[in-house]
Amino acid sequence: MTKDRVSKFIIFFFILYIGLGIINLFIFEMNMEGIGERWIVSFGKGGFFGQLNPMTLIMSFAIMIILILIARKIKFERIPGRVQAAVETFFDSFWQITEEVVPNPEFRRPTFVVAMSLFLYIVVSNVLGGIPGINVTPLANGINIQLFTDVWYSPTSDLNVNLTYAIMVLIISHVFAIKSKGFASWFKSFFEPNPIMFPLNIISEIAKPISHSFRLFGNIMGGGMLVLILSSIVKYFVLPVFLWAIFGWFFGFIQAFVFSLLTIVYIGSLLE
Amino acid sequence: MDLKTMLETLVTNGGYLGWGLYYLAKFLAAGLCMGIGALGPAFGEGKIGAAAMEAMARQPELSGTIRTNMILADAIDETTGIYCLLISIILLLVLP
Repeated sequence: MTKDRVSKFIIFFFILYIGLGIINLFIFEMNMEGIGERWIVSFGKGGFFGQLNPMTLIMSFAIMIILILIARKIKFERIPGRVQAAVETFFDSFWQITEEVVPNPEFRRPTFVVAMSLFLYIVVSNVLGGIPGINVTPLANGINIQLFTDVWYSPTSDLNVNLTYAIMVLIISHVFAIKSKGFASWFKSFFEPNPIMFPLNIISEIAKPISHSFRLFGNIMGGGMLVLILSSIVKYFVLPVFLWAIFGWFFGFIQAFVFSLLTIVYIGSLLE
Repeated sequence: MDLKTMLETLVTNGGYLGWGLYYLAKFLAAGLCMGIGALGPAFGEGKIGAAAMEAMARQPELSGTIRTNMILADAIDETTGIYCLLISIILLLVLP
């Protein structure tokens, strides 16, 4: 009964969408002003440390609230319900990957917690980038707020967020390595095959967070920009729905999975 | 002399020719970067897809796992292409 109503509602909504799209096709004017620019508030002296990205902050807190609400709604009981079974299956597959990759049993749980919290945050923020919502672009005078012309701003399309997480993963992996192997053994691992390789080892360590963060940033930011340009060309007629589904949901999920998997691999590869 | 003043002198002294040169270089660089940069990931993804197909044909009962790992490997493989996309976007939108 409810399924029937839901499918009727979806069909009604789709017909409404196409009707509005046909009207939109004739009155819409393409306005590409402010693409790829961010709403930045600078305070104090300005410069690198005196700037704030308000949309990133707002959406980050919104995502945290969404995650907390979802986590409070799922009740864990002895006899699992539908949602609990899905969540447990999903977490269990991640736990199996962690068990395979991380050799030390005492570091498995912290690694799993770090990777899983990163995954949940990134997947919610990427999926928000596939849902139409409020779009804020800066103009020459003030800011321009538009409703439903673009997707929600996703914090992972801001490099600061991704680079923060990647550097955090790097520091965590080295701290775990020092804890498990001892300082001398950890320091010796930089001179591993022979001492000539020391600069190369340092460079490979620095390259880790860069490739780790730029992969996610490029996928989300490039995908969002591509969708925006393509949907401006077709004047938001029907096509954006499929593009949002591909770039927001599918690629977003895959990239979040890749990010957390690489987190586990980076932490696990430095241990013992 | 940094990039911005160089471009300003080019545009003010060159007139229409300066503007033409500026946009020619910008668009040509962005297009070449994206076009050549897409070659490597395309070859890599083709190899991954071919190997996955072969494995699936040999062991059809493992196709679910193989497909998941194939998508994962594709996502890691296209990193260099994403870098080229970033540089193209920077050239097109961020450059003065």
